[in-house]
Amino acid sequence: LLFIIFSLSLQAQDISYDDGKKYTLGGISVSGNTSFSDQTIVTYSGLRKGKEITIPGEDISTAIKKLWNSKLFSDIELYISKIEGNTAYLEIRLSDLPQLNDLKINGVKKSKVEGIINDNKLKKGVKVTENLITTTKNFLETKYKKQGFLNSKVYINTIDVKDSVQTARVNMVVNIDKGEKVKIKNIVFNGNEVLKSKKLRKAMKSTKKINRLRILKRSKFIDSAYQADLGHIIDAYKENGYRDARILSDSVIVNNDKTISLQIDVIEGEQYKFGDITFIGNTVYTNDQLTRMLRIRKGDTYNGVLLEKRIADPSKPDALDITNLYQNNGYLFSTINPVEVSAKDNVIDMEVRIVEGKPAYFNNVSVSGNDKTNDHVIYREIRTRPGQLYSKANVVRTIRELGQLGFFDAQELTPDIKNPNPNEGTVDIDYVVKETGSSQIELQGGYGGGGFIGTLGLSFNNFSIKDIFKKEAYKPIPMGDGQKLALRLQASRFFQTYSFSFSEPWLGGKRPVQFSTSLSHTKQFLFNPITRDADKSRRFNITGLSIGLAKRLSVPDDYFTLSQAIGYQHYDLKNYNTGLFTFGDGSSNNLSYTVGLSRNNTSVDPIYPTAGSNFGITAKVSVPYSLFSDVDYTALKLEREGLSEVLSDANNSDAVRTAASTRISEIDQERYKWLEFYKVNFKGDWYTQVFSNSKLVLKPSIEFGFLGAYNNDRGVIPFERFYLGGDGLGNFALDGREVIALRGYPNQSLSDQDGGTIYNKFSLELRYPITLAASAKIFALTFIEGGASYNSFRDYNPFNINRSAGVGVRIFMPAFGLLGIDFGHGFDPLPGQTVKNGWETHFIIGQQF
Amino acid sequence: CSEYQKALKAEGDDAVKKKFEMGESLYNEGKYDKANRLFAQIVPNYRGKPQAQKLMYLYSNSFYEMKDYYVAAYQFERFASSYPKSEKLEEASFLSAKSYYMLSPVYSKDQKETKEAIEKLQTFINLFPESGYLKEASDLVQELDFKLEKKAYSIAKQYNHISDYPASIKSFENFIFEFPGSSLREDALFYKLDSSFKLAVNSVESKKEERLLEAKKTCTTFINTYTNSEHIEEVNNMALEIDNELKNYSNKS
Repeated sequence: LLFIIFSLSLQAQDISYDDGKKYTLGGISVSGNTSFSDQTIVTYSGLRKGKEITIPGEDISTAIKKLWNSKLFSDIELYISKIEGNTAYLEIRLSDLPQLNDLKINGVKKSKVEGIINDNKLKKGVKVTENLITTTKNFLETKYKKQGFLNSKVYINTIDVKDSVQTARVNMVVNIDKGEKVKIKNIVFNGNEVLKSKKLRKAMKSTKKINRLRILKRSKFIDSAYQADLGHIIDAYKENGYRDARILSDSVIVNNDKTISLQIDVIEGEQYKFGDITFIGNTVYTNDQLTRMLRIRKGDTYNGVLLEKRIADPSKPDALDITNLYQNNGYLFSTINPVEVSAKDNVIDMEVRIVEGKPAYFNNVSVSGNDKTNDHVIYREIRTRPGQLYSKANVVRTIRELGQLGFFDAQELTPDIKNPNPNEGTVDIDYVVKETGSSQIELQGGYGGGGFIGTLGLSFNNFSIKDIFKKEAYKPIPMGDGQKLALRLQASRFFQTYSFSFSEPWLGGKRPVQFSTSLSHTKQFLFNPITRDADKSRRFNITGLSIGLAKRLSVPDDYFTLSQAIGYQHYDLKNYNTGLFTFGDGSSNNLSYTVGLSRNNTSVDPIYPTAGSNFGITAKVSVPYSLFSDVDYTALKLEREGLSEVLSDANNSDAVRTAASTRISEIDQERYKWLEFYKVNFKGDWYTQVFSNSKLVLKPSIEFGFLGAYNNDRGVIPFERFYLGGDGLGNFALDGREVIALRGYPNQSLSDQDGGTIYNKFSLELRYPITLAASAKIFALTFIEGGASYNSFRDYNPFNINRSAGVGVRIFMPAFGLLGIDFGHGFDPLPGQTVKNGWETHFIIGQQF
Repeated sequence: CSEYQKALKAEGDDAVKKKFEMGESLYNEGKYDKANRLFAQIVPNYRGKPQAQKLMYLYSNSFYEMKDYYVAAYQFERFASSYPKSEKLEEASFLSAKSYYMLSPVYSKDQKETKEAIEKLQTFINLFPESGYLKEASDLVQELDFKLEKKAYSIAKQYNHISDYPASIKSFENFIFEFPGSSLREDALFYKLDSSFKLAVNSVESKKEERLLEAKKTCTTFINTYTNSEHIEEVNNMALEIDNELKNYSNKS
């Protein structure tokens, strides 16, 4: 009987394959400790009854490999059990890998156990292999070393479970001995003369010695970070001209008090200087131009890092370097290499070798991945058009502007340069976009203003109005033309608001002229604060409609926008007598034309601008009706003044006073039938960095507004007025009022009850960012500001203002918008009071200061 | 509980057979989504059995009828590769390709699916040159090809519309090069001319003559190629104006 043992041990290797004899497989039996059926194991092995195999040969080893690869078995062995003539019978002997039954982890807090189980996949039932044990041990040890537990040790034991269940199972015990946290007591340098130890320690980014004042970085010892920091030490020398500096040796000394010290011996070498820097191969730019770009002169301390950066800085795509100079002007195929040509007397002569290549022009420009947005919305924003000279800057700008559309995931936008053809000088570019959800549904309810308020809002930011009647476009709503459509319903016991707005950013598709329109209707019932009920028979309705056009100008520069709008509001009162109006029944119409010119060149981040300014001047005017009407407003004014006297004279009888009040209502109804006014607003913000390259930003701003009447006898209207003070959040803007923030005072407290007709405000804000990550931007601010509102130009005095100062913080998260809180201290008394107002807290939601 | 619900919940060997029968009758009645749910349950039971071929065909087709073309394309493709000797092979291959066609979006969006569909339909045409579906398949290919043409044409025309004439000229050149036999060629040539005419007429002085000559060249090509075009009058007017403008230059020199 032939008896050969095959296993993965080296034995199999001893027998040469050449000696193999061909047999027909007569049958395969399975033995050993396994819970799998024989059939399954045979199928797994790939062997089949009746198959012709060579023994010894490849078939056998493949079968064993296949079984090993299933990762279910251990001790796999294959025997020939019997040979009859040309027929061989095989036996597979194997045992199942043990399954994990119970896991015990000692030495860590209970709350950490779950994490360890998940990280290492130590779930019950997992097959316990040597590999699993080793990787788990290594994983845990490196994990604790990274946290500074330099002496951590992990021991793993497995214990077989002896019970009646067939499958082999083991219990695993993981003993973790984290040891003491090791801190770095001291870092000692030897051999450094030019650079002080302090400076070298600073160059080490993550390895720091104990310093109780430093809170952000701990003084733990992580080997990988330490190795990187050794490199940083060399970099520090390289930046100072010590090109040959190296670390001779470094040692870790264990101290008695659970700390270690690091000793690093360095050789500094000699300092090198830049010699002649010559350019070779440049035809487009002169040597002078390139030298100016390089900003390195002969005699400067040699700095290899800086030189690399000035030639190509991979960390900044829009850096001011020579590569970008070529890349932004069509030379896609250019390559630039600095080469040291001589290093005599510690002076290094450099040769910058430039291969310019042909200028490249865009050939095909395409977009892919837009399965919602239509081509024309994207192509009009692309700044790299077919036939244009290649420019990296334009590619970068296109990516930024496509991201700003809000239809695509800004992180996933990639320009895909295709088919670069250096001979023809052409290149294709494909912008790969990924659509994101740009629609929002807002459904909310809450208590406020005396009762339950429910809001339903729908806003679609990439709507397609032309597909609105196409059935197949509803997936689930017609999308892809870049239009904005918003619907909003808000209702409570005593008011209802319906609004609709639509805007198209490129009206007619020819130029970026934004068209916008909105429609709104508000119903307000008289609220009785005692019964907390609304009186539905007494109401105040406002219906509004507006249409506007905004055009980006190219003269004087392309940051200017000219906007125009026509708005109409209809106010309809029914038995609605409040302080707001002198007539309880009647109506009022407001037809106005608004023209605005604004310039916004703030950059870079719209939430936290660090440079630029934002100005806007708008004028809102109505038709000067009194010029054409034959009503004698002077007479009416005199009559009204007379009646006011009658009304305020307590000696008059009730009947007389009622009659007077009725007549005043009639006169006011006549005066306000069509609102006649003009209003001018000016606003300006500046943003400047306090120190160059620091994140600290100073923002001065100034605001001014004036509401006037064409006909002084007709008077300034009680609508459209300014209300100063507080957080500046608009409540229900019933009457076109403008709510202006002035922190440090209660909301709308600095104006009359009827509002002011002139206001001005000055503020100075200092901002410091805490984080500007994309997921959440947070900045702190401190401010001083002052402002006042006046009832007529005669009272106007820009220096008689209410002053305040305070601090605050803003948080911007994409899902929530801007949130903030300010604490302001008002230094001046409120109107009618004598003591200063003191501290006020303001919550800011969704408003951008 | 309806009989259908009972069938859905039933388990065991009998149930498998019953589900098949019921699914088939529902399928024949045109209730594809109900049939599909039953089929989905029994597909694993029939794997490797002789009836599987019929089941898989009905299952694939129920996806097609439910307009779930992504899955239909995949299932038909699987059917075709699993049963290369089936009499339904040709039909399944065609329906698989047609499912891809159904997924093709409007021309103004990403045309990944369109290109895929053209490829699949072309493969079908190559495999079954005698097929009864041949005419439909080539019609579909033509329709899809036209989509790609329309896309390129519309983009080039948009550049004309937003007054980026150099980009428009370049794009139309690429269009004419890429789709030489296109039915949109006449319009493409016209708008290319329109772009180069407008570019020339509004040009800065230093480049005007060169651009006028370029426009004149396009003009001549158009007049020679499309004598009976509906745009011919406009083109003739452009030609006149170009000649007029060019006179300035011949006089000066």
